[in-house]
Amino acid sequence: MAIGASAPVRVETYQKAPSAFARNAPGYLFLLPWFIGFFGLTLGPALVSLYLSFTDYNLLQAPHLVGLDNYARIATGDDKFISSMKVTLFYVVCSVPLKLAFALMVALLLNRGIRGLPIYRAIFYLPSLLGSSVAIAVLWRQIFDGDGVVNTLLWYVLGINGPSWISNPNYSLYTLIILAIWQFGSPMIIFLAGLRQIPTDLYEAASLDGASKARIFFKITLPLLTPVIFFNAVVQTIDAFKAFTPAYVISSGTGGPIDSTLFYTLYLYQEAFGYFRMGYAAALAWVLVIIIAVFTAFSFLSARYWVHYDD
Amino acid sequence: MTDAKLTHFPDDLNPPRERPWFLSLIIHVALVGASIVMLYPLLWMLSGSIKDQNEIFGTASLIPSQFDFSSFARGWFGGQVTFGTFVWNSVVIAVLSVIGNVISCSLAAYAFARLNFWGKNFWFALMLGTLMLPYHVTLIPQYILFLKLGWVKTMLPLVVPKFLAVDAFFIFLMVQFFRGIPRELDEAAMMDGCSPWRIYWRIMLPLSLPVLATAAIFSFIWTWDDFFGPLIYLSDINTYTVQLGLRSFVDSTGSSDWSSLFAMSSISLIPVFLIFLFFQRLLIDGIATAGLKR
Repeated sequence: MAIGASAPVRVETYQKAPSAFARNAPGYLFLLPWFIGFFGLTLGPALVSLYLSFTDYNLLQAPHLVGLDNYARIATGDDKFISSMKVTLFYVVCSVPLKLAFALMVALLLNRGIRGLPIYRAIFYLPSLLGSSVAIAVLWRQIFDGDGVVNTLLWYVLGINGPSWISNPNYSLYTLIILAIWQFGSPMIIFLAGLRQIPTDLYEAASLDGASKARIFFKITLPLLTPVIFFNAVVQTIDAFKAFTPAYVISSGTGGPIDSTLFYTLYLYQEAFGYFRMGYAAALAWVLVIIIAVFTAFSFLSARYWVHYDD
Repeated sequence: MTDAKLTHFPDDLNPPRERPWFLSLIIHVALVGASIVMLYPLLWMLSGSIKDQNEIFGTASLIPSQFDFSSFARGWFGGQVTFGTFVWNSVVIAVLSVIGNVISCSLAAYAFARLNFWGKNFWFALMLGTLMLPYHVTLIPQYILFLKLGWVKTMLPLVVPKFLAVDAFFIFLMVQFFRGIPRELDEAAMMDGCSPWRIYWRIMLPLSLPVLATAAIFSFIWTWDDFFGPLIYLSDINTYTVQLGLRSFVDSTGSSDWSSLFAMSSISLIPVFLIFLFFQRLLIDGIATAGLKR
């Protein structure tokens, strides 16, 4: 066949299909830092920590395998585990719903076309932003101290002699819950943004039909906001499980008085870096992962019944 | 997934409505009252720093009977090392963290948002998975790793990971933003023979300044506020960050010098407060977007 003579002249404009290497290399090059971090600082350590959780390890001697001993101790014979878990669950169950309720209430109020919205929004957001800094924990410790400002106010306004909040085990955890509620700003901002996403014509149509305010709220606002409520609830709960700094600073690292503020993470920290029981602490960490995972899975399952999606 | 970028949430979307004046009044009274409750603790701390020792407790008033600024000098110079050392250490760690996070996370985000390669969806799912993983799981092996590397008692464990894109939240935020940038831009550039690197550097980054700024600001604030990391890795007082310095200050002064404790607490909040003041819009849009667009 006479191919040669009639071959197209402009061969050079015909591009070869890139090789597999040329196609994939840039992506992997851009991801290189992430890969090092993922394998070296996340996946690798996670696997090592799973291994350590079956060992006894104090950093000095080589870890030696103890099978399920750590988990067995957690499940049966560890009073501190039980009390720290109780404290943490109580904290989560009290602080998260109240925090979200405040966030939603204020967001609804601010969304009603309020003059000075940016100022109010800023004021309510500020405490959450200052968040977990030591200064805020120190401040809280002084406010709720025996002769702190809370008791001063209680005395002047209500004539009550307040307890010594921080050093009384019956009240100490409540001060941390109040601190968490005070920081409702960041879920509030997310609620505000969520409220903005609700199409205004829905409201117009509803009010034309003569629907009452309560009806509009329960039939339009609340259902359309459920994805945002769900997101906030999951994020805030996971964060609450991980709370550390306020409890550490307010109790000077002890979790006292009588373990009343011994958060789970604080107990984990004490085991790992106080007693250097690294294997046991790794097991505690995995138990936390399981608890958070179970909670999250449960949330996602329940979401089917109450979270409203358009499509 | 919605096509998302950091949209600017306008404040006048819901313009002030006509409503009976007394209703407006009630709402504003409620909001002002709530604002006072929110700000009172912070103002009380600030005023405590210029009050006389005996005046801090037993009164709820914010205005001191006489202004005494000596607490700032006592707090700053009072310890084994001056508070300036802590501030300097915190600034160094925070600035390096910002640089590390912005560079490494934007590289990863660009790959996930714009490049095609084998296994991309798999890696992306893994990256999102790390968002959910509590850091406690990796904490102990990471500590052992840094101990074996001889990095414990230095700032390296606090800074180096930031250059390795460990904060998946920022990658996620940037991916969302990058996806909102018109594809035609980099496709045209690719036609012209631009390398992915040039596209990333000359097109994506300049167009992404808002999200990069948001990530930088959050990165700074979170590093500045971080207590746990420094608590574990820093044990020499000369390397302490502001948070650790403040904590040791609490322990060492015990229950004696409240006003200087409040003075140093106030100082430790200043950078976050200033950033908040100047970049409020970016912070609020950032957090709103991250929450909404999943």
